[in-house]
Amino acid sequence: MNWYGRSLASGFLAVLAGMGLSSSQAQAQAYPTRSITMIVPFAAGGPTDVIARIVTGHMAQTLGQAIIIENVVGAGGTTATTRASKAANDGYTLITGHMGTHAASVPLYPKLAYHPEKDFEPVGLLAGTPILILARKDLPPKDLKEFITYVKANESKVNAAHAGVGSVSNVSCELLNSVLGVKPIGVPFNGTGPAMNALVAGQVDYMCDQIVNAVPQVNGGTIKAYAVATAERNPSLPDVPTTTEAGLPAFQAQAWNAIFAPKGTPADVVAKLNAAVVKALDDEGVRKRLLDLGSVIPAPADRTPAALGTLVKNEIAKWTPVLKAVN
Amino acid sequence: MGDIFSNLGLGFGVVFQFVQWTPAFLGGASIPIPVNILLCLIGALVGTLVGVLPGIGTIATVAMLLPITFGLPPVGALIMLAGIYYGAQYGGSTTSILVNIPGEAGSVVTALDGFQMAKKGRAGPALAIAAIGSFFAGCVATVLIALLGAPLTKLALAFGPAEYFSLMVLGLIFAVVLAKGSVLKAIAMIVFGLLLSMVGSDIETGASRMAFNIPELADGLGFATVAMGLFGFAEIIRNLDAGGETDRKLVQEKVTGLMPTRKDLKDSAPAILRGTVLGSLLGILPGGGAVIASFAAYTLEKKISKNPSQFGHGVIQGVAAPESANNAAAQTSFIPLLTLGIPPNAVMALMVGAMTIHGIVPGPQVMQKQPELVWGMIASMWVGNLMLLIINLPLVGIWVRLLRVPYRLMFPAIVVFCSIGIYSVNNAPTDVMLAGAFGLVGYWLIKHDFEPAPLLLGMVLGPLMEENLRRALLISRGDWSVFLTRPLSAVLMAIAAGLLVLAVLPSLRKKRDEVFVESEN
Amino acid sequence: MNATPGQEPVKSFLPKWVRGPQDFIGGVALMAIALFALWASSDLQGMRGFSFGAGTAPRMFGFLLLGLGAAVALVGVFTEGAHLAKYHWRGPLFVSLAILSFAFTIRPMGMIFAAMASFVIAACGTPETRWVETLIVGACLTAFCALLFPYALGLPLQLLPTFLIR
Repeated sequence: MNWYGRSLASGFLAVLAGMGLSSSQAQAQAYPTRSITMIVPFAAGGPTDVIARIVTGHMAQTLGQAIIIENVVGAGGTTATTRASKAANDGYTLITGHMGTHAASVPLYPKLAYHPEKDFEPVGLLAGTPILILARKDLPPKDLKEFITYVKANESKVNAAHAGVGSVSNVSCELLNSVLGVKPIGVPFNGTGPAMNALVAGQVDYMCDQIVNAVPQVNGGTIKAYAVATAERNPSLPDVPTTTEAGLPAFQAQAWNAIFAPKGTPADVVAKLNAAVVKALDDEGVRKRLLDLGSVIPAPADRTPAALGTLVKNEIAKWTPVLKAVN
Repeated sequence: MGDIFSNLGLGFGVVFQFVQWTPAFLGGASIPIPVNILLCLIGALVGTLVGVLPGIGTIATVAMLLPITFGLPPVGALIMLAGIYYGAQYGGSTTSILVNIPGEAGSVVTALDGFQMAKKGRAGPALAIAAIGSFFAGCVATVLIALLGAPLTKLALAFGPAEYFSLMVLGLIFAVVLAKGSVLKAIAMIVFGLLLSMVGSDIETGASRMAFNIPELADGLGFATVAMGLFGFAEIIRNLDAGGETDRKLVQEKVTGLMPTRKDLKDSAPAILRGTVLGSLLGILPGGGAVIASFAAYTLEKKISKNPSQFGHGVIQGVAAPESANNAAAQTSFIPLLTLGIPPNAVMALMVGAMTIHGIVPGPQVMQKQPELVWGMIASMWVGNLMLLIINLPLVGIWVRLLRVPYRLMFPAIVVFCSIGIYSVNNAPTDVMLAGAFGLVGYWLIKHDFEPAPLLLGMVLGPLMEENLRRALLISRGDWSVFLTRPLSAVLMAIAAGLLVLAVLPSLRKKRDEVFVESEN
Repeated sequence: MNATPGQEPVKSFLPKWVRGPQDFIGGVALMAIALFALWASSDLQGMRGFSFGAGTAPRMFGFLLLGLGAAVALVGVFTEGAHLAKYHWRGPLFVSLAILSFAFTIRPMGMIFAAMASFVIAACGTPETRWVETLIVGACLTAFCALLFPYALGLPLQLLPTFLIR
């Protein structure tokens, strides 16, 4: 059977399996006995959605139950996260959160209806997406050192684009600006696409964004990348130095995605889910697809629920002073 | 030129690719299957069927069906998705014409004359001309993309915030011209729409505006929610108190032909042509160009028509022009995606999502790196439009027959479909309640002879206008003259001013005439 | 211009000097909406130097609508216009109830119940409803939706009430 035949056949099988779910043999087997709902707080097709779908696709095989993705958009992902925090803590409703929903939201939304640490059980980190410092292709500085001097000298003239208040590009750019000690004009756009368009067209000077959005543009020469804000260079852009190499070690930022369950979800359920995450992250197919996106796959030590809990704590501590100062 | 042909050849090669299927029951014999054509056909069919459900707009349809394509190989998935997109768009026009429920901004204009035609028993010709116009526009736009895709990209990049602001001002003027009644009331409705569009979080500061701490309002009122209320629910309530049954019987008795007459075709041909040109140009502009394509086309037709007063009462040009423009814009909005790798609107962003799921990250080099993908998609656009024509011309009869369902059964069904549709977009019950509230607002508007179309357009254009104004002012450091010193922006402003004068003058003159008539008595 | 055909205009409760009650009331209501919006956006920041604040645009449009509402109302005072159209209660009431019942039951009770209930409530909106027919069509429609949305389209919609699943 060829590729098409196989995938069509497996598609039909999946549909049949789905139809059989309601009458599923309720065997005296432990969790999970029915399909699991995974809330994704962003639109289908966005970076978080893509990562969630890649990993949960594999997790569903391990757990032997379908994982249904429910995209709930709104208010920088906090609408969905609020809903997830109030869901039944039986392990059948999970959420794929990210740096924004489970860290930056704390200083950004003073009236937040949940707390990332108090209302959720960490399950496991899925992937990290490095942040790049990007600029329009004809901006004079040639490297990060020159860029720093340039921005400091032209503080009142430069424009920094971002993809909307609370977006990864917005909060990471605020961190960069606070590290540099500058307050340039921030030009808000509605999403990464329009912001990138303005940068390619040269209407704005620089921005920070996730690597997945920027790799093709950097390789195509329509914009330039000064540095990647992680400890190591990224295989998709091997020529771009790290911030440490380029002389700005204080700027470290990466967008991360992780699975959380509502507070009080039984420990054995969390352990089972975490094992499925770990297994997915060891799968060659899953790894390749994540690496293609420019993602960084967490090391084994960083994959435990406890490690994720620590990460959330550290991230809240990292973003709160930066974002409080801006608002 | 040679390049173009070899590229298109490559594209059609991809689309017409046959896969040998060797099912076990044939005992080794294999059947060639044109997989990509089939995927395109299935996509267009499913897209139409979902898009035709009242309450589910184009973006919602594509988002809903996106996961279906995840199991396919990349090229097939994107071809199917493109089919879904065209299908959804056409399905949306169908509901606008049949039951006056526009699923997206573009079909608001189609509903104006399309629904009136349906009321006169001419739903068949309206649906058919929409399909024919869309097909023609699709053919032209496909050729345009193949020939001029790369150079046209420059236009997309030449549009900065100042130009977009001016374009949106022009769009608002179009909305004034749309009105069939009082210009003053139409302007009041536009401003009401602008005010509604302010609800939600502020783009620059993130402050919550007029959202009263309701989480579902934090991102503003959804277009589909408001449109469903003002058009769909309000129309139902209005029909109920006018005695829906008798109204309907009238419609059914009047059903004449299913297909457009020769006169219809002759009337709509130039409208289709003009709509196609306008739509193709506006579609290239990312972030809002395509939105105003359909009503720019409508406005143009109304302005150059010999009897503009007929518009809004069911003229075929009023369906042909916006539908062609809408479809042409839908095609050319692929240009920024294919040449720059930047999604210009929400649907294209979903397309990028589909590509990344398949491990393709579109960028400026996508044309060189994945020519079979890009040209396959371009060729599939044409095939997709052909499919739409093939699917929809026979369906016209079925849709028109739907109108014969007694209204006492039809309206509860529409209420249920709309509710499920609105709910499924965000899985939010509050959205359903909001749509219901807007249904009552719409009923009130009808009672006071206010038109909902300008309100909706104000709502769509409001955020685009405010955001671009603020961006332009941020970049120019508060210098308002940018709108007149940047040449493209200045041209758009001049057209807007000219149109405004044209729109206001006749009504002033009319008022004066009325005054004279009264004084003579 | 009259709003809907076949309707008797209501006897106006407005003073005689209002010559176009439809426009007058419409304009006044728009002014009320504008004032409400101005109040609702009063807590928002205004201009910050050369750049707009969060409240600048809403207030701008609020004042504009206030002025336009006044203009529409004045037109209603000075020019002969349509009378107020008659409002009916049955259609709006039951359609609103149907929508509300859907919104409140979809999460706890699942789609089958929500769709059927909403169909039946909406059907009360017209005296023309024939009950046997309505119940049959409602059941068929619910079954169609139950197959279409969760299965054919794969939407995360719950079919049965939550208490039956747990």
